[in-house]
Amino acid sequence: MKGNKMKCLGLALCCVMTSLAFSGCASSTDSGKIEIEIVQYKPEAANYFKTVEDEFNATHDNIHLTISSPNDATTILKTRFIREDYPDIIGIGGDINYSYFLDAEILSDISDYPGLQNINSGYVDIAEALEFIPTDGTYIVPYVANAAGILYNREMFQEHGWEIPETWDELNALCESIQAEGILPFYFGFKDIWTCLAPWNSMAVDLSPADTTKQVNRGETTFTAEYRELSEKYMSLLQYGPEDPFAYGYNDACTAFARGESAMYPIGSYAVPQILSVNPDLNIDSFVMPASDTPDGNTLNSGIDLGFCVMADCPNKEAAYEVLDFLLEDSVIQNYIDAQNAVPCKTGDFQLASQLDGMKEYITTGNMTDYQDHYYPSEMSVDAQLQTFLLEKDVDAFLAKFDADWQRYNRDIIRMVQEYENGK
Amino acid sequence: MKNDRKMTFLLITIPILALFVCFNTIPLIRGVVYSFTNFRGFGTYDWVGLRNYIDLFSDARVGKSYWFTFKLAVVSTIVTNVISLVLALALNSKIRAKSFFRGAYFLPNVLGALVVGYIFNYFFTYILPALTGTSSILSNPGTAWIGVVVVCAWQAIAMNTIIYISGLQTVPEDVYEAGGLDGATGWKQFRYLTFPLIIPFFSINMVLCVKNFLMVFDQIMALTKGGPAQSTESISYLIYNNGMAGGQFGFQSANAVVFFVVIVVLSVAQMKFSGSKEEQL
Amino acid sequence: MTESKSIRVWKYVPMIFLILGLITIIFPLYMTIIIAFKQPSEMTNSISGILSLPQSWSLNNFREAMEVTDFWHSLGNSLLISGITIILSLALHSLMGYSLGRNKASSKFYNFVYLFIVSGMFVPFAILMMPIAKQTAEMHLANWFGVVLLYVVFYMPMNVLLYSGYLVNIPMALEEAAKVDGASTWTTYWKIIFPIMKPMHATVAVITALSVWNDVMTPLIVMAGSSQNTLPLAQLNFQSQFGTNYNLAFASYLLALLPILIFYIVCQKQILNGVVNGAVK
Repeated sequence: MKGNKMKCLGLALCCVMTSLAFSGCASSTDSGKIEIEIVQYKPEAANYFKTVEDEFNATHDNIHLTISSPNDATTILKTRFIREDYPDIIGIGGDINYSYFLDAEILSDISDYPGLQNINSGYVDIAEALEFIPTDGTYIVPYVANAAGILYNREMFQEHGWEIPETWDELNALCESIQAEGILPFYFGFKDIWTCLAPWNSMAVDLSPADTTKQVNRGETTFTAEYRELSEKYMSLLQYGPEDPFAYGYNDACTAFARGESAMYPIGSYAVPQILSVNPDLNIDSFVMPASDTPDGNTLNSGIDLGFCVMADCPNKEAAYEVLDFLLEDSVIQNYIDAQNAVPCKTGDFQLASQLDGMKEYITTGNMTDYQDHYYPSEMSVDAQLQTFLLEKDVDAFLAKFDADWQRYNRDIIRMVQEYENGK
Repeated sequence: MKNDRKMTFLLITIPILALFVCFNTIPLIRGVVYSFTNFRGFGTYDWVGLRNYIDLFSDARVGKSYWFTFKLAVVSTIVTNVISLVLALALNSKIRAKSFFRGAYFLPNVLGALVVGYIFNYFFTYILPALTGTSSILSNPGTAWIGVVVVCAWQAIAMNTIIYISGLQTVPEDVYEAGGLDGATGWKQFRYLTFPLIIPFFSINMVLCVKNFLMVFDQIMALTKGGPAQSTESISYLIYNNGMAGGQFGFQSANAVVFFVVIVVLSVAQMKFSGSKEEQL
Repeated sequence: MTESKSIRVWKYVPMIFLILGLITIIFPLYMTIIIAFKQPSEMTNSISGILSLPQSWSLNNFREAMEVTDFWHSLGNSLLISGITIILSLALHSLMGYSLGRNKASSKFYNFVYLFIVSGMFVPFAILMMPIAKQTAEMHLANWFGVVLLYVVFYMPMNVLLYSGYLVNIPMALEEAAKVDGASTWTTYWKIIFPIMKPMHATVAVITALSVWNDVMTPLIVMAGSSQNTLPLAQLNFQSQFGTNYNLAFASYLLALLPILIFYIVCQKQILNGVVNGAVK
């Protein structure tokens, strides 16, 4: 009995040791090429990046490119940063994480990268605005953007002769007439808290200054002053949604919209693939959220969905730039746009998805403003606070809490900004 | 001979303890160190002294998550233990297809969180309201926690039942025979004969439940993601979501330290309590 | 006559109870299976729609799910990690449980070590994540073996608690008898104590296997950046914030469920037979 047990144990230990030895061997590959590793945070684009990787490696002898598209990339990136195991290039969104990474001084200044000349200056400005403290350099190559507004069922609109609204009053009138025909104007998926931010963001760009959060950080204004109209208008949208919007998640809402249960769904262009997976024949178009009282007051809610940053640690910037050049080739970008319904950040003649028809005018004229939530720290959970607000419908309490929490969660940043302002 | 025994125990204990210290205690100490900083999880950071701890006690969100977590833990523990004890008694009685039932009741434990989340979301959002004519319990901040209890219990019952069954197997038949002569049947038989004999298994289940439910995370992620209106944010969820996914690593480390201390104090108290009870019986 | 009739009626009560309970398991399982066979375009929000059978029983979803997750490779990794974790846990945790269980009553040192390790159960994982990511990399353990070591440490508190609890039921007399025959403590342990704890081994194996099998976080942070995947890690590919393919995901979860279910059924017999054969009391 004893002999057997010990043998088992010994065998197991042997297994452990040998496989340990093997795993040690496997990790060292050496081909004499320069290794460039990209980690990008959009797992839904994994297939696209696989092709890019293959094409790049087939056409380049000096560089070997690896692109990984892990799920939960932010966690993976953070754990890799803490063990100082930096990839060469990271693909991230233009949101507060970019600001944090920049502030942590782990990104490399790429203002000497020639490819930046061809990037739509609107998106370069959006990236600059994400810096807590203005810097001289440029740290991200905006790659593609997404746009948020209202998706609508084109067939249903044509059938009933409904017009695309351009002002807040027109939107309300439209909702009234849709409701009068016994159709639900909007679907909401507020059970998934992040979807609470979608209408909020696309209305905020029309109703409050683009740099609201920065003004607050400088102590020039408060959210109570800037967000009141926005909050009240947002709350009034609820009457055009389903009876209990907090019961349904994003997935439910996409399914419902795809099945024609509502005429519109206020969400971003990123929802299109999920909706089409349920109903591939649905004819979807979109329009800009008309939250303003005048047509000129509206702007398209668009931000950097994916941009590439070269890490400060990257030993071979030349090679990294060569990879970026490849990624920024027109045909490569066009493939991405086709696969993901995205908006290119590069200037040039690109074919946009038909689901973005209603937003094209704003995109070509550059009338775009970044998402407000790209400035919100995620731990403040503005999405959850919005859900609370929509449930309790108390504008004053919501705004007061917003201001108080903002000061609490951004203490260190506010101090940093004010030190910078004073030192100027 | 006596020395051999002592040496053997030391030789067993020290290396394993070293392993434990290396991968649990040392990282924990490093984590405690971070709790005195404004570390975001990467990059540079500053020392902030006790600021995180002071903030902790004035943060309504943290307080709310403690209340929710403990409420959930207590209710789920009771529900789970009552149901699994009854199930174990049923499965231990002379019935057909025992193995089939035992296998089937294990399934909830194995289904992944995504599946469980989807199905229960569907159940609470569409099926239950259709059956009862009420609105979804998950959309109401006052009732959403009940949904979490249901899922927690549903998943945990399997494991607890197995442990109770193995407990019931240790009760020799002759105890019942002797009891039967004294007229102990049904509830009386359970209360005075069966239960005292399976108290050790009862303690194991209590510890398992309390541990799993106080650290509840997967079920929250799958079912409510802390909503509605932040009414179902558990402590683990808050620590992970704001510390790892968000940029509050330092602050949430402080939260984790306090949570750890609270639980250790509670479980020492519980052990003392159940320990003394065991001796009594 | 009436008495025997009432007894016969009572015999069916547990059965009815079990069948009622079974419905709460069969129903989610039914939903999982039909969703796994459906196409995304068959998904609706209506109850009759979701409960209806798929249009065709094609295995395409399963084939595609296996492709996306690189099934055999990921399965291999998962089996390797789970298998070695279980073997090491049974060996090390039972030894530790034995050593601590036998000495904690008489020695302050062992009692302290016992409480020290058991309290490790309540360290929130989130606080350990960052330090562990760093430490495993420093120690060149950012691979599957590092994951195994971490599991051995993480599940030590619970398993030590279980083992030392079980030891209370094993009389010292058994060991003393062996000692009289001249066996050392080490031999006595492997010859007498280890086999006697068989039901507990099975319980520990099931609990540990379950936790390891479904765990995402540890491999995620430890093996991040390596191309190695475990099944749960690979399954993350099905879900993202903006779109989840439930049909593929459910097919994949059903596939991942089978190995652990088989393992449970094997262990389950051990838990029950062991208690009877071991003749603990």
